[in-house]
Amino acid sequence: MKKEEREAYLENYEEEKKKGVPFWPDIIFKDSIVAFIIFIALVALAYFVGASLEEIADPSDATYTPRPEWYFLFLFQLLKFFPGDLEVIGVIVLPVIAIVFLILLPWIDRSSRRHPAGRPVVIGVTVFGMVAAVFLTVQAVEEAPPPGGTTAEGDRTAALYVDNCAGCHGSTVAVAPGTDLFAVISAGTHEGMPSWNADLAADEIDALVGFILAPRGNEVFASSCAGCHTADELIEADAIELRNALEAGSGYPPHETLDVPEWSEVLSSAEQGQLLNFLTAPDGQRLWTQQCSSCHGRSVAFAGTTEELREVVVQGGGHLDMPAFGATLGDADIEILANYVTDPASTPEGEQLFAQSCASCHAQRIPRVESFDEAVQAIALGGAHEDMPVWGEILTDEQTDALVAYVAEAAERPDLASGQELYAQNCANCHGEFGEGGLNPARSDDIIAPISTAEYLRTRDDQTLRAIISQGQPNFGMSPFGSAFGGPLSDDQVDELVAFMRAWEANPPVELPPEVEDVPQPTASGQEVYGQLCAQCHGQLGQGGIGTAFADPSWQSANSDRDIFDAVNLGHEATAMIAWGEVLTSQQIEQLVVHIRTFESSGSTAGPPTYDGAVSSIFEESCTACHGSLGGWTGTSYEEALNTGQGGPTIIPGDPDNSRLVQTMIDTHPDGVIMPPAGLLPDDTVQIIIDWVAAGAPER
Amino acid sequence: MATKLGDWMDDRTGWRTHHATIFLRKIPKINWSYTLGSATLFTMFIQIVTGILLTLYYVPEPQQAYASVSYITNELPFGWLIRGLHHWGASAMVLLVVLHMVRVIIYGAYKYPREFTWITGVALLLLTFAFGFTGYLLPWDQRAYWATVVGTQIGEVTPVVGDTLRAVMLGGEEISGLTLTRFYGAHVWVLPSLLLLLVGIHIFLVIRNGITSVPKRGE
Repeated sequence: MKKEEREAYLENYEEEKKKGVPFWPDIIFKDSIVAFIIFIALVALAYFVGASLEEIADPSDATYTPRPEWYFLFLFQLLKFFPGDLEVIGVIVLPVIAIVFLILLPWIDRSSRRHPAGRPVVIGVTVFGMVAAVFLTVQAVEEAPPPGGTTAEGDRTAALYVDNCAGCHGSTVAVAPGTDLFAVISAGTHEGMPSWNADLAADEIDALVGFILAPRGNEVFASSCAGCHTADELIEADAIELRNALEAGSGYPPHETLDVPEWSEVLSSAEQGQLLNFLTAPDGQRLWTQQCSSCHGRSVAFAGTTEELREVVVQGGGHLDMPAFGATLGDADIEILANYVTDPASTPEGEQLFAQSCASCHAQRIPRVESFDEAVQAIALGGAHEDMPVWGEILTDEQTDALVAYVAEAAERPDLASGQELYAQNCANCHGEFGEGGLNPARSDDIIAPISTAEYLRTRDDQTLRAIISQGQPNFGMSPFGSAFGGPLSDDQVDELVAFMRAWEANPPVELPPEVEDVPQPTASGQEVYGQLCAQCHGQLGQGGIGTAFADPSWQSANSDRDIFDAVNLGHEATAMIAWGEVLTSQQIEQLVVHIRTFESSGSTAGPPTYDGAVSSIFEESCTACHGSLGGWTGTSYEEALNTGQGGPTIIPGDPDNSRLVQTMIDTHPDGVIMPPAGLLPDDTVQIIIDWVAAGAPER
Repeated sequence: MATKLGDWMDDRTGWRTHHATIFLRKIPKINWSYTLGSATLFTMFIQIVTGILLTLYYVPEPQQAYASVSYITNELPFGWLIRGLHHWGASAMVLLVVLHMVRVIIYGAYKYPREFTWITGVALLLLTFAFGFTGYLLPWDQRAYWATVVGTQIGEVTPVVGDTLRAVMLGGEEISGLTLTRFYGAHVWVLPSLLLLLVGIHIFLVIRNGITSVPKRGE
């Protein structure tokens, strides 16, 4: 605005003021009327509606459906348009733009025009903003999920959605194409979505994925199939069967005796597609797992272009003609190959031949053939792969797209299967099958901490993991594994291992060990719980393994019931022994203690007490307080226990009667010394020491 | 007698000049939409008065927060009225402050010489939302708790500082008693101080520069 314009405005404004009215009483009167109306309205709202107060906050109740206050609903709704990584646009970018726009408005709209008709842009943007906010608010209110449990009777899938998803996502979820929705739901995301695999069964997650990706399909299901079938039942069914049933209509064998319409006539092809998408969700990873992996294995390998891939999938076995290798390979080679595909391990020379002749189509997957003769025939004559279904006739377009997109992307990823194999061969021995750690075989008294926890993986980048694997950790007894440091693994193999370990990150196996598929029923007895949970590490008979051997009598006598209870209840930090108190009831832990005690008698053959077993803990509890710092004999390590002492060894292995240690503990010492000075230890504890010395004072 | 007292006061405070500036000033001819600003101010006073009354009984500690709000709502004489007014007043204030802003935009009232008034107004709008967000947690019921969980998780997406911001707001990783005292402190000390300061400046500027006249066609 120019100087003249500013002056003209002020002059004009003075004129307007002269024509106006005084603030008191005219304006105050109007304001008071409005204030009075507002006050009455608020009192009425307070009286008739009131301010509700729900149950006290319960942070453990994740089923509660949270809603922000109404004036934040438009923001909440806006976020739904920006799924995944785009969320930051809805959360930060747009609000910041709006606020900056408001602050700078006087400088954006610099003209001297004041009437709205002369300022179409600013008025337009404002009206748009307000209409959008009102629209989003209305939409959010309309999408407000019905309170759990009030959904239509029988529509379990919709109920599942309402109970578990609608609270944050509203009535629909926008899913970016190519999202592995099943994986997202089961593992959660870093943006605050929890992992549901502990709360929902796989078929429930399948149902939710179908419901989210093909909501219309659920309606078709409800109107056409729900009369006879439950959703779970059909969702578990094979995609091929589903397509068959739909196309054959009343001709589909299980439907023959029933009054079933010709689905292809009753349902439009769009409806059929939606129904199939609902029952077998177009989720690439899941489709692969359910439809392809039984033949193709877990690792996805494809080297061609996406178009070629689509053709292979759509045309299936009808397209894939294998050349007749009888024309190009000699009988000997065919025999080697046939042996190789029958039993790869017995025919190492087949590997190279397979790589030359077959891998361009078969990639690393070796087709398995049961009989040698069949294999020879198949290789020599070639022909179509009769057993690969023609997926183009089975899958809907959406499913095909998702599957192709998944395979194309997954084929680029590092091969987890070979990483897993490398891990099993090289690492699992010390680190455990699931990276849960355990006793360090290289160093006594040392426990290897889990390497598969979210925390461990988050705090180490790939470079660090690579360095640890290649160079080893000599201080902790881990030898170098990289070939550059004299180890067995090439750089590529180390990378595969790192990729395999990274795959833990999305779903760390060591929060609860993965074998704990179900948390035991609160009614399960101690024995059942032991078999289900404890036996994996401690052995079915308490013989030990990763975990302590309960059958060791010295362990039994060194630990009170209270000790055992606490160990189960609280766990040991940085080991796979988690705090089971969070999973089990205290009655169950008490029963477990009783059950663990039953190993005491059965384990009497487990051998004499050892220093590492029971003896060291007796020393630590009863002797070290004084002997650790006062000099003379000390029992803090095995060597010291045997070799220190005033005027000669305190322990003579094999001869308890003449060992000063035993003499002082049973008051037979010639000088009348007793240990501990405050009073002799209980007989059974002393007996452990006597047995130990008599057995030659073994270390372990 | 009254005149004498008035003279004495005027000599010490100059109240007649202030009174004239505030109450006897002339206002251009305006319509009812110009009452939105004073209506917002009025709801602010309702919020202040009822808010002060609520703090007499409210205890910002998780177990007791819920118990005290429950006591205010169900047992305290006229407690339902005080909490009801505060609850609905909050919504009314948001609504009125937004409508007030829309009116200002439509009449181009943010233009010379009222640009700074406008900026304080934008700040007041954001403050009102901040009041709403912090106040919502205080009853510590399910609705309050989970709305704050979702709200703060959304904020976590902010690049670079998101995690830190959330941790500072919540006083840790999770919503806890610490979060409650933080929100309480913000809601009854920090935000009101800012609010009163900005409202003071805002009103001073409205009186100094006068209220906009309704623009005529072509103006």
